[in-house]
Amino acid sequence: MFDWFEWEFTLSLLTNGVLIGLMYALIALGFVLVYKATDAINFAQGEFVMLAAFFGAVMLLSAGAPFWVAVLVTLAGMIAFGFGLERVVLRPLIGRPIVSVIMATIGLAAVLRGVAPLVFGAETRSIVMPVEDAPIIWGPLFISPIQLIGAGVAVMFLAAFTWFFLKSRMGIAMRAVADNQQVAMAMGINVERYFALAWAMAGVVSALGGIVWGSLLGVDVHLALIGLKVFPVVILGGLDSIVGAIVGGLIIGIVENIAAGYLDPVVGGGTKDFAPYVLMIIALMVRPYGIFGKRQIERV
Amino acid sequence: MFHREAGIYKTSYAADMALYPLPVARWAVAGFAVLFLGVLPLAVHEYYLTIVNLISIAIVGALGLNILVGYTGQISIGHAAFMSVGAYTAANLAVRLDLPFWITLPAGGLMAAAIGTLVGIPSLRIKGLYLAIATLAAQLIIEWTINHVEWISGGVQASIEVPRPELFGYVIKSQTQLYFFLMFFVVLAIIATQNLIRSRIGRAFIAIRDQDIAAEIIGINIFRYKLYAFAISSFYAGVTGVLYTYFLGIANYEQFQIVVSIDYLAMIIIGGLGSILGSIFGAIFVTLLPIVLRLVMEDFGSLIFSEADLRNIIPNLRLIVFGALIIFFLIVEPEGLNRLWRNIRSYFRVWPFSY
Amino acid sequence: MRPVSALLAAGTFGAGLLALASTAAAQTKEIVIGMQCDRTGATQTVGVNLCPGYHDYIKLVNSKGGVEGFKINAIEIDHEYKVPPSVEAYERQKKDGAVLISLYGTPHTQALTQKLTEDKIPGTSPGFGTAAAANGQKYPYIFPIAATYWSQMTAAVKFAKDNLGGNLKGKKIAYLFYDNPAGKEPMPLLEDLQKSEGFQLRTFAVPPPGVEMGAQVLDIAQRYRADFVISHLFGRSPSVSIKELKRVGFPLSKVVGFVWAAAEADIDAAGGWSVAEGYNAIQFAGVGSDYPVLKEIVEMYKKEGKAAPKEMASTVYYNRGVLQAAIHLEAIRNAVKAKGGAKPTGEDVKKGFEQIKNFTLGGLVPPMEITAKDHEGGGWVQIFQAKGGKWVKRTDWFRAYPEILQKHLQG
Repeated sequence: MFDWFEWEFTLSLLTNGVLIGLMYALIALGFVLVYKATDAINFAQGEFVMLAAFFGAVMLLSAGAPFWVAVLVTLAGMIAFGFGLERVVLRPLIGRPIVSVIMATIGLAAVLRGVAPLVFGAETRSIVMPVEDAPIIWGPLFISPIQLIGAGVAVMFLAAFTWFFLKSRMGIAMRAVADNQQVAMAMGINVERYFALAWAMAGVVSALGGIVWGSLLGVDVHLALIGLKVFPVVILGGLDSIVGAIVGGLIIGIVENIAAGYLDPVVGGGTKDFAPYVLMIIALMVRPYGIFGKRQIERV
Repeated sequence: MFHREAGIYKTSYAADMALYPLPVARWAVAGFAVLFLGVLPLAVHEYYLTIVNLISIAIVGALGLNILVGYTGQISIGHAAFMSVGAYTAANLAVRLDLPFWITLPAGGLMAAAIGTLVGIPSLRIKGLYLAIATLAAQLIIEWTINHVEWISGGVQASIEVPRPELFGYVIKSQTQLYFFLMFFVVLAIIATQNLIRSRIGRAFIAIRDQDIAAEIIGINIFRYKLYAFAISSFYAGVTGVLYTYFLGIANYEQFQIVVSIDYLAMIIIGGLGSILGSIFGAIFVTLLPIVLRLVMEDFGSLIFSEADLRNIIPNLRLIVFGALIIFFLIVEPEGLNRLWRNIRSYFRVWPFSY
Repeated sequence: MRPVSALLAAGTFGAGLLALASTAAAQTKEIVIGMQCDRTGATQTVGVNLCPGYHDYIKLVNSKGGVEGFKINAIEIDHEYKVPPSVEAYERQKKDGAVLISLYGTPHTQALTQKLTEDKIPGTSPGFGTAAAANGQKYPYIFPIAATYWSQMTAAVKFAKDNLGGNLKGKKIAYLFYDNPAGKEPMPLLEDLQKSEGFQLRTFAVPPPGVEMGAQVLDIAQRYRADFVISHLFGRSPSVSIKELKRVGFPLSKVVGFVWAAAEADIDAAGGWSVAEGYNAIQFAGVGSDYPVLKEIVEMYKKEGKAAPKEMASTVYYNRGVLQAAIHLEAIRNAVKAKGGAKPTGEDVKKGFEQIKNFTLGGLVPPMEITAKDHEGGGWVQIFQAKGGKWVKRTDWFRAYPEILQKHLQG
C-alpha cells in the first residue's frame, strides 16, 4: 500500500489539511467565544453560519448589493441576532444545568432550520466572492483562493481575539465573568452585558464564517451541517481556548486528510469523518479538558 | 391521578413499599389497563393504534434515556446508536440462528448494554459537555462500524429483513397484534423503571446526579454506578431498537441517526427530567406533535394559505414549533410536562379552595 | 401554579384531538394516492422542487376531468427523512384509502417493503430504494419505475467506455461515492464490470455529511491519476466534488454523476455553470422546459391568473416529480380501464403498473415497459452535460450490460 507514497502527494494533503483546518477553526471560534464567556455551548453554531450565509446571499443576489455592503449587512444582522438571542433565550437559562443550555440551542437550531426556508426560500444560492476562482498553482500544490481567504480570516480573528482577551479592558472583564460570575458581579462588572457581548462576538465570527463557507459550499439549509464537523475541533483544543480552536482545527484538518489519503484505501471506507472523533476520545482520556483547556477544580 | 389522601395509615413495611400505596391509585392503574387492553384496540381504527405503537416504542427509549440523563445526570447524545446495536444484534440472531423474539429481544438489550458500558468508561474522567461530545463520537463510530462491517450489517445495503415475531405459532403482524406485543413491553419497562428508581441503585444514581463528589464521599462507588447507569440506559435503548426492528420488519442503521438521539433528548426535556411520568408524557408529546400539527393545519390552514404554500409551511412549521417548544419549556417550565401535570393535580386536589 | 398556561396546553391538545377525529372520509369518485415527501430533512433541496412537480401534474390532470372520471387526491405527508414518521404517514394514507404510495427515501422504502406487500398496496421508489426490487417476482409490490443505482452504474460504465475510445482495458476508473448503503449498493456491479471490461478500479469514500473531500479528489487527480470518475454523491457533496475536481485541474468532461448529483442546484452551489462546464450527469427524466406537458402546466397557471411556479426553474427535480405523477396516473388509468370504470384497489393498480408501455409524455419519460418481471421498466437513462449555462443532452435514452444486471437481479 505505501509503495505509492509520494512526498508531493503528502505535501498536498498537508496543505489541504492546514487550510481546511483553519476553515474549521473559523467556525470553532464561535463556540469557544461563547463558552469562554458564558459557559454555554452552542449546538446551533452550524445554523448561525447558515443564517449568516443566507443574509449574505440574499443581499448579493436579491438586493444586488456590492460585496462589501453584503458583508457589512451580514455582520450587522448577525450582531443584532446575537444580542437578541441572548436576551430572549439564553439569559433566562443562566445558572441552569448544562443539558438545558444544550437543548435550548438544539431547539434554536430547529427553529432556524424551519424559519430560513420560509423566509429566504429553500433553493440553493451561491455567494461569489470578488476573487479569481482559478486555483493558485504553486509547485505541486493547487490552492483555492477561497480557502486561503478563509484561513486568513481565521488567523486574523486569532490575533484579534488574543489581543482582546489579554489586553483590552472589555476582554479582561469578560475573562473575569467567565471565571466566576458572582465575584465579577461583586467587582461591579455588568455580567449580563458581557454575556450579550459574547453572543454578539459569536455572531461576528459566524457572519464571516458564513460568507466564506457559503461561497465554498453554496447556501442552503445543508450548510448547517458543518456545525457537526467542528465538535472534535473544539473538544480537542479545549472549549475555552482560542489558541486551542486554531490548533484543534489544524490537527483535525491534517488528520482528516491523512486518514483519507492513507487509511481509506486500507480499510475500504471513509474514515475521514470518524478518525477525528477517535483521536478526540484518546486525547480526552489523557487531558479531559482538551489540549489547551483550563483545568477545573471541583469543590463540594 | 386525581386522588386525595387524608393522612398516613401505613402499618407495615410492605404497605410503605408498595408501588401504588393508595387504593385509588391502584384502581386508576387498573382502569388504564382496561382502557388500553380492552377498549382502545376495539374502539379505534388501526391507524390510531399505529400512533400508539410508535408512542409505545418511544416510551421505552425515553425511559432509558431518562435513567441516564434525568436520574444520573450524565449527558448522552448517542442514544440512537445503542438502539441500532440492539436492532442489528436481534436481526442477526433472528435471521442467522432463527431464534424467537423472546431470546433476541433480551440479547439485543444485553449487547447494547455491553457497548453502552464501554462508551460509559470515559465518563469517569470526563464530564458535562466533554462527555456529551464523547457520546456523539460513539454515535458516529457505531454508525460507521455497522455501515462497514458486512458481518454485522448483512451486506452493502446494511439492512436485514427480519421475520415477524411469533408467539406459540401465532404470527404478530397487524398493527393491532403489534399493539398488544408492544404494550406488554411498555408496561414491563415502566414497572421495572419504577422499581429501579426506588432501589439502592436508583438512589445512588440520584446522589451522583445531585453532587457526584459528595456521593463518593458518602460511600457510593461512582465509577461503578455511572457504568450501571450507562448499561441500564443502553439496555433500554437496545430493547427499543429491537422493538423498532420487529415493528418495521427490518433493521437499518439509517433509522438510528443523530436526529433520533436528539428527538429522545427532546422527549425527556419536554416531559420532565428525572421523572417516569415525564418520560411517558414526553414520548407522547413529541410523537403526537407533528401529527396533530399537520391535522390542524390540513383542516384550518387552507383558510389562510394556498394549497402549494401550505405544503411547504406544514413541515417547516413543525420544525419551528418543535424547536420553540423545547426553548419554551426550558425557560418557562424547566421540569417539563410532568410538573405541569403535578400543578394541575395539586390545583384540583384542594379545589375549590386555593390552599 | 399557572392555570392559564395549563388550560392553554390542554386546549391546544384538545383541538388537535378533535382535528384528529374529524379527518374527512374519502369521496366515492376519488382515487387517493399516498404521497411522502421530505421538505425539511436531509434531502430538503430535492423535495421542495420535486414534490410541487408531482402536485402540478395531478392538478393538470384533474383540471382536465381526472383519470377516467376519477378525481385524484394526492395526500402529501412530509416525514423529514425520518423512518418512524414515514410509517405513521403510510398507515394514515392507508386509512384514507390510498391505492398507491409514492415513497420517498431509501431507508423508508426498505422499512415499508414488508408492509406494502402484506397490505397489497404498490409503492414506487424512482431513483432510490433497493435496486434488487426491479425484480418484480421477488418484490411484487415495489416499483422502482426508473433506473436503479445498478442500472445507473452500468450506464455510467458504458458512458465511460464510449468516452475513452470504446475500450476500457487498462484504463483507470475512480468511483467516488457517498459512504452510506445507497452509495455502496452498485459496487458489486462495478466489480463485475471491472472483470469483464478489464479496467483498473479504485473506490473513494466520502463520509457524510460530505462537505469536504480535498484528500479524495487530490488522490484521484494526482496519485491514482484516474482516466474517468464515476461519482455517486448526495446532498451537498456533488457540488463540493465539482468544485474540488476543478481546483486540482481534473477535466470535468471525464466525470459522470449519478442521478442525485445531477441538478441545477448542484451546479449553482458549485459556483455556477462556468465552474461546472463539461460535467456530465445521468438523468432518468427529461431535463429542460421544452416538453408539451410543462407548457400545459404553465398554461394552466396562466388561466388562473398566476405565474408559473418558481420550482419549475429547477427542471431536473421538477420534471422528476412530473414523471412520477405521470407514471402513477398511467398505472391508475390502466387499472380503471381493466376494471371497466370501477374504482381500483391496490392490487389493480399493481397490475396497472405492469401494463405500462409506450408512454413517453413527449420525451419526458423514457420508452419504458414495466412488466410483472421487470418493475424498473428497462432502466433507461439519458446523460446530460453542463454546457454554456444549461444541461445539454449528450446521449439519447439508453441502457447497458443487461446480462450483468440480470445476473444480480436473479442472484
